[in-house]
Amino acid sequence: MKNNRLTIAAQAVKSNRQLMAGCIGVLALLVLMIAAPLISTEDPTIYGPDVLNGLGENGHILGTNHLGQDVYSMIIYGVRTSVKVAVISAMISGILGVLIGGAAGFLGGKVDVIISEIINVFMMLPTFFLILLIVALFGNSLTNVMIVIGITTWPGNAKLMRAQALSLRERVFVKSAEAMGETKRQILFKYIIPNGIFPVIANTTLGMANAILTEAGLSFLGLGDPSIISWGQMIYAGKQYITSAWWICAFSGIAIIIAVLIFYMLGDGLNKVMDPRYNKRRA
Amino acid sequence: MSEKPYVSVENISKWYPYKGDKLINHEKKFIKANDDINLSIQKGEILGVIGESGCGKSTLGKLLTRLETPTAGDCLINGVSTKELIKNDMKAFRRSVQIIFQNPFDTFTPRDTIEQILLRPLKNHNIGNSKEERRKLCIERLEEGGLVPGEDIMKRYPHELSGGQLQRISIIRAMLLDPEFIVADEPVSMLDVSVRAEIINMLLDLAKLHNTAVMFISHDIALTRYISDNIAVMYLGKVVEYGKADEVVNNPGHPYTKALISNCASIDPDDEREEISITGEPPTPLDPGPGCYFAPRCFMACEKCLKEYPDKKNLSDTHWITCMNAE
Ligand SMILES: Nc1ncnc2c1ncn2[C@@H]1O[C@H](COP(=O)(O)OP(=O)(O)O)[C@@H](O)[C@H]1O
Ligand code: SF4
Ligand SMILES: [Mg+2]
Repeated sequence: MKNNRLTIAAQAVKSNRQLMAGCIGVLALLVLMIAAPLISTEDPTIYGPDVLNGLGENGHILGTNHLGQDVYSMIIYGVRTSVKVAVISAMISGILGVLIGGAAGFLGGKVDVIISEIINVFMMLPTFFLILLIVALFGNSLTNVMIVIGITTWPGNAKLMRAQALSLRERVFVKSAEAMGETKRQILFKYIIPNGIFPVIANTTLGMANAILTEAGLSFLGLGDPSIISWGQMIYAGKQYITSAWWICAFSGIAIIIAVLIFYMLGDGLNKVMDPRYNKRRA
Repeated sequence: MSEKPYVSVENISKWYPYKGDKLINHEKKFIKANDDINLSIQKGEILGVIGESGCGKSTLGKLLTRLETPTAGDCLINGVSTKELIKNDMKAFRRSVQIIFQNPFDTFTPRDTIEQILLRPLKNHNIGNSKEERRKLCIERLEEGGLVPGEDIMKRYPHELSGGQLQRISIIRAMLLDPEFIVADEPVSMLDVSVRAEIINMLLDLAKLHNTAVMFISHDIALTRYISDNIAVMYLGKVVEYGKADEVVNNPGHPYTKALISNCASIDPDDEREEISITGEPPTPLDPGPGCYFAPRCFMACEKCLKEYPDKKNLSDTHWITCMNAE
């Protein structure tokens, strides 16, 4: 029966080009993450003697920066940072959203009223400004950045999950689970969340694209974690050499765009495939 | 009525706040899905509840199984309030009171196999000592219920089974907990006509075997007559007639019951009866009354009927109606 689900998933991937491209892209990113030491030509943390080399100069495929780091190798290792930020912050956002939104929609009543208000307040907050503020206050380690992105983006997921829970709790199988003596908590985790989580998964994947952009944006403003290799920081450091050594900014910029597009296609493809109207249209 | 009732419904009401046109008139309106209902059911008895769609049958079922909380009144089991029962020991209450839903296609989560669906409550209620023992019990019950081979059914997902099979599984699952009272809410109305009789028989056989009290909800008076000991007729959230099944069908007292029976082709009464048609607006339980709720459609209605709700009138020791004009 597990096979059954796999074939359904495989069919869905095949049915939507966007989703397929997204899946292939994510696989490629995973390969780059794991095989970075093999694919890169140098250790990107080493400050070599070749400063501001151009393309192909001294064996540096994409040149070097002002500290003599190899741009190509930095971009390869930068995948790790971007994917890590994307996945962890999206997980935080997704888990918070699912739990809070699920509880609000399923429990209803006063709990729902209070949580909905909190969600609305969070949705009104200027997210990027809040992130800036928190990073400025609590320091700019990558962990902080990921946590902050997570806790400023959960309300969107919570809204989606709440709407799902509101309709699921009227379903017979939820009533029947209650009649069979299952506790509210069991019902939330066993029936509401697993049956309502798909839109949240799609939205969370889209959120990954945004997380990459947010991390890059923070780095660009000089609020990134200085102890790691990240595309945003490459642009930040490279922007003063934009006229003399354009390759530092250009290739890291392209890397960001590609990574964002991959997660965007995956998220948007998932959204389309899981929309019930999509399958009807095709049938 | 010397025997103490097993289930006793005392002045139970369920009013839903009405959310429409509040801006136009500011008074708060209610949908009186159930309004001041009194009934009782003995151990092992089958009570049929009939009435048109929307008259509050499912609401009554949900109140008795505490899937909804009553606005007023209570339901007692063995003289103890179900409110207390569920507060003191939720699991024990759920074991003793079960419900079969109208829609078998939505009764089970689409993500689980029948095996997972059946094993879960057993584990939750600590029935059986090991997974193997529980599996064996499930397969045994499935096969007793005509679902063979049980091993094979256990591996299926709900969407792979027919409505009849699913409803059997729903009954089997409820019976695994060995309930003392079971509400069957139109259990066959969504099923193919050809399987209805078997499913009802299965339910009633199991109930008889375990001496389970059954509240059988239906809109089919002919069917209900044959399987029930007593019948309650509901109209707009109220019970308007109650009595032994034969009494109610052969000698209906309330004009609404009379109309129901005369419109029912499959009951041919001994004497010729003229057909009584129900006319007027289809009813909504939105702030009904004052007066008899049936008055706008009643062929016997008079001036007085519009003023106050009729009192209960006994036609015999076991048969009563709420109508002021019937004799
Ligand atoms: N959750 C609810 N909120 C508001 N109105 C409801 C709700 N559930 C049922 N009702 C209303 O109560 C009345 C009785 O419904 P129900 O008990 O399902 O009737 P039946 O099962 O006899 O068809 C209907 O008018 C229905 O619209
Ligand atoms: S009380 Fe009046 S309106 Fe109501 S059922 Fe009897 S005759 Fe009809
Ligand atoms: Mg109903």
